[in-house]
Parts: sequence; structure tokens; C-alpha cells
Amino acid sequence: MTNDNSQPMIIAENVHKWYSSNKFYVLRGVSLTVNRGEVVVVMGPSGSGKSTFIRTFNALEDYQQGRIEIDGIALTHDLRNIDAIRKEVGMVFQQFNLFPHLTVLQNVTLSPIWVRRWKRQKAEEVAMQLLERVGILEQAQKYPGQLSGGQQQRVAIARALAMQPKIMLFDEPTSALDPEMVREVLDVMKSLARSGMTMVVVTHEVGFAREVADRIVLMDSGMLVEQASPQEFFQNPKEERTRKFLSQIL
Amino acid sequence: MQIQSSAPPTPPTSPLNWVQKNLFSTWYNSILTLVCLAVIVWGLSSFISWVVSTAQWEIVGANLRLFFVGRFPHELYWRVWTALGLILSLAGICWGYIVRKSPLFSRTILFGLGALIAAILLLPIELSARLWILAIAIISIVGYAAGRKLPPNISPWLTAAWGLVFIVNLWLIGGGLGLTSVPTNVWSGLLLTLLTAICGIVLSFPFGVVRAFSILYIEVVRGLPLIGILFLAQVMLPLFLPPYLRNLDRVLRAIAGLVLFSAAYLAENIRGGLQAIPRGQFEAAKALGLSPPLVVLLIVLPQALKAVIPAIVGQFIGLLKDTSLLSLFGLLELTGISRSILAQPQFLGRYAEVYLFIGLLYWLFCYGMSTASRYLERKLNVS
Repeated sequence: MTNDNSQPMIIAENVHKWYSSNKFYVLRGVSLTVNRGEVVVVMGPSGSGKSTFIRTFNALEDYQQGRIEIDGIALTHDLRNIDAIRKEVGMVFQQFNLFPHLTVLQNVTLSPIWVRRWKRQKAEEVAMQLLERVGILEQAQKYPGQLSGGQQQRVAIARALAMQPKIMLFDEPTSALDPEMVREVLDVMKSLARSGMTMVVVTHEVGFAREVADRIVLMDSGMLVEQASPQEFFQNPKEERTRKFLSQIL
Repeated sequence: MQIQSSAPPTPPTSPLNWVQKNLFSTWYNSILTLVCLAVIVWGLSSFISWVVSTAQWEIVGANLRLFFVGRFPHELYWRVWTALGLILSLAGICWGYIVRKSPLFSRTILFGLGALIAAILLLPIELSARLWILAIAIISIVGYAAGRKLPPNISPWLTAAWGLVFIVNLWLIGGGLGLTSVPTNVWSGLLLTLLTAICGIVLSFPFGVVRAFSILYIEVVRGLPLIGILFLAQVMLPLFLPPYLRNLDRVLRAIAGLVLFSAAYLAENIRGGLQAIPRGQFEAAKALGLSPPLVVLLIVLPQALKAVIPAIVGQFIGLLKDTSLLSLFGLLELTGISRSILAQPQFLGRYAEVYLFIGLLYWLFCYGMSTASRYLERKLNVS
């Protein structure tokens, strides 16, 4: 593992994924490099493979061809590498996926205690700080089912941060939320981005992309169509496909 | 325009209205109600008159000891009482611990105290038994009070305490290690019923969880009737075992049969629970870096088991009643001992009284289990 700051955090080269049973292609040679501290927003129509693509970064999805390297660790079938990478990569899901049988605090301390082998006391201190940071300190002893969607998603962010990851992946974090709860989650993500976290975010939130992203990537039918700075992406897109996509969402 | 809020109109709900609405709404409903009422009154009154005047309850009163502990040596009763005391005091502690946030005296507690006093006064038992019951009751109540004072995060310790009590009680009843050993052929009555049922339940659990992944085993065992498996365990099991285990005693063989049977059903229940867990739970756990065994242990099993509590308790209730089949193999559990009591010359033919009595005992335990399970479900539903 290297900590050379000039080296990119994520390197994905020519990643292919297909299901051999029905010759169905999900990813057709996607390449993307994410630098340290960079916030990359991935946009695209549904079914374009954007979620699948970022889920290959922590091996929730496998890939058939190409090369992925996370913080200098090659993502192969080697389970030790996968374990090492999952410790460095936090993920936030569309459906929150909190553990319903554990309290908020237990959700957040679970993997620091069992994976990082921290003492319970230390894990709880860190967890309380994180819960304060996402603004749900007073809900620590409740169960996920007793919280609103926005609060649950903020717990999910705290849970991912508790492992002190170097990269945070967000898979449509606000798509399952009621409109009035979207903002509270985006605010947390914005402050996280400002703190220098490397983030890859799949989202349809144009405002968020415009304000926070260093780079926006458009995917369509398993391919990477265009990547550009937010300004260029929204004002002056190069590709016809991007213009069409923007005309539909703006 | 201002909208005035007002309470919704309340329909009149006197008992008379209820009766009119639900029982006598039409002419044919009225006829049905009257016919049913006649049948119920006739059945109930003849049953009660039988219970009060015709039935001769001496057979039950004279054989209470046999029903409960069978041929367990009289001078060693203190061990059974101690075992019962251990269970009830720990139950008291746990109960106090669980309801620590609700008021001290609930209806259930008052009802329990009333039943206890009635038992001490009314049961035709010897003085020492009355004293034991009194002592155990006092210890349980003290345990209940103590349980309310316990810190909130000791449930793992309580679980461990139950394991310890289970082992200590087996030792108290079976003897050995400094206590006079009591051979299993004198274990009998309700004691044996509960012992086989509890061993069956406890032991089938680890098997059932592991077996949840073995289809062949499940399909073979589920295709056989329990009585067949018990025969298998009694007659054939010794043939398969190494020579030094050939003399495995009958009670252990019976327990092995029950465990074999109930593990298969348990496995199938748990498999159902496993399938009810959304894929996102696995993904979130993996993304957090948990290894596959930890994912199963910390995330999947707790949720799967919670989802199948009603099914599992239903199965355990079945298992408790299935122990009555052991009487066919000469084991004197509750049903077996009843059959030998019925053979006493002075009580010939008093089937109804005896079977009603043991039916009541089986019902008490089954009802207890289902009440506990419903309570547990409500408790766990918070999450």
C-alpha cells in the first residue's frame, strides 16, 4: 500500500462486466481515475450501469475484464485484498440498509468493534462524535425503524464513516427519500466533501453536482460518455448524448 | 373559512347494543345464537356436574408425587426442589430485568401470587413440599425485585446464566460428581417430560441452525413419522454406535430421536427466516468489511431467528406434547406414568380424571410458552 499523494485513489481501466448466461453486457470498457480528495458525480439514465460500476470498487459486484486499483491495492479475487479494500471504502446505499435489529449506536460501532478490533469504549466515543457531526446524537439509543428516512440515511453515512474510510461511495443516497428530507442528507454530504474526503456519488441531484462535484461523469448503456467539470458539463457539453440527457433532467 | 375540529361521533356501545348487533341482527342469526347457546350451556353444565359430583379426584390427589416426579427417590426430592428453585429464581430475575421500566405490581403478578397461595393451601401435599414452595416463591420474588435493579446491558450474562442453570440442574437430577447418582430408569413423570422436551429444544437448536444448509437431511427426516424415528433411535441407534456407547441409556436415545426430528423442522423454519432477509443487509454488512461468518452471526441469524419466533415456538409446543409418544417405549414420562397409575387396583377405570389432569398440565406449559413467545415478539418488534 502506498500513501504517495500524487497517486490516484481509484484507478479503473477498461472494466467489462457481463452475465454469461444471457450474454447481457452491463459495463463495456469503463475507465475512470479519481484523485485524492476529489468528488466525482456519476450521472446517467437508469440502467446505464452507473450503480454497478461504483459497486465494483468495493467488490459488491465482480467484473470480467479490466483492472481496478484502490489506493494502490489491486482489486482481484484475492480475498485478502478485498478485505483490505473494504476497510478503506465506505458505502451508502439507496435503501439505507441499516441493521434493523441494532440500535443506531450499535449500527455505527458494529464494524469498528468486529473488524477494526477497537475497544467498545473507543468505538462508542468515535460513533458519538460522528452522530453529532451528522446531527442525530440524541437518537443514538433508538432503532432505525423509529427514525425518518433522512435520519436513517444520515446514520448510514455515520456508520460508513466509523470505519475511517479513505473513499466514500454513494449509490443514489437521496433517491428513496421524501423531498423535504433530501436537503438534510445533501448537507451532510457537502460538509463531508469540504473536509477533503474522496467521494464517488451516483445521484440525480443536479444542484449537488453543480455545487460540490469536481468532475461529472455521464454514463450510458455501460459506457462512459463524457467527463467534465460541472461548469463545462452543464453549460457546454461536448457530446450529443449529454445534451439529450441534460434536456431531459433540467 | 375556519374549520372547527370536533370529536368523531361515538356510536353507542352498551353490551345490549353489542348483543343486538352481533348476535340477533337477523332472524336466522337469532336462531343460530339460541341453538349455540343451548349446546354450550348443556355441554358446560354436564361437564361441570361431572367434575363436581361424579368424578373421583382421589386418584389425582393420592398420586400427585407420581405425576410430578414419578419414582424419583423420596429422600432426594430436595434436589428436584433446588433445581426448580434455581429455574424460578433466575426466571424471576429475568422477568424483573425485562419489565424493569413498567410498574412494580401488574395484574399478572397479583394473579400469580393468588395462584401460589391457593396452591400452598389447597394441594394435598406434605408439609415439607408446602415449605419448599413457599421458599422458592420468596426467592423468586426477591429475584424479581433484584432483576429490576440490574444495569441495562447484562442480557448476555443472563443468557449464560440460563446455560449454567441447565447444566447444574442436569447434575442435580442425574447426580454424580459427589451427589448420589439417580439412574435414568427412575426419572419419570412430569420431570421426565420436561427434561426430554427441554433437552430436545436446547440441543436441536445448534443442529437446526447448522442443518439449515443441508437439504438431504431435512427431506429424509421430514419424510418419516416421529414414532418411526423414535423406534429408530431406540432400536437401531445402538447398532451404529461404537461398542463403548452401545449401552447408551433409553432416555438419552429418546432425546437423540427427538433432537433428530425437531432439528429438521427447525432447520426448515430457519431457512424460511433466512430467505426473508433483504439482499441489502448482506451488501451493507459486506461493504463494512465483515467477514462471511460475522455477517451470518451478527446480521443474518439474529434477524432470521426473530422472524421465525412464532414458528419455532409452535414447533417447541409440538415437541413438548410429542414427548408423550415416549410412553410407547416404556419411558414413564407424564403419559407413561399416568398409564401405570391407572393400573392401580383401587382406581381402576378412572381414565377421565387422570387424562383431564395431565391434559391440564400439558396445556399449562404450552400456554406458558405461547404467552412468553407473544411477549417476546412484542418486545422485539421495537426494532
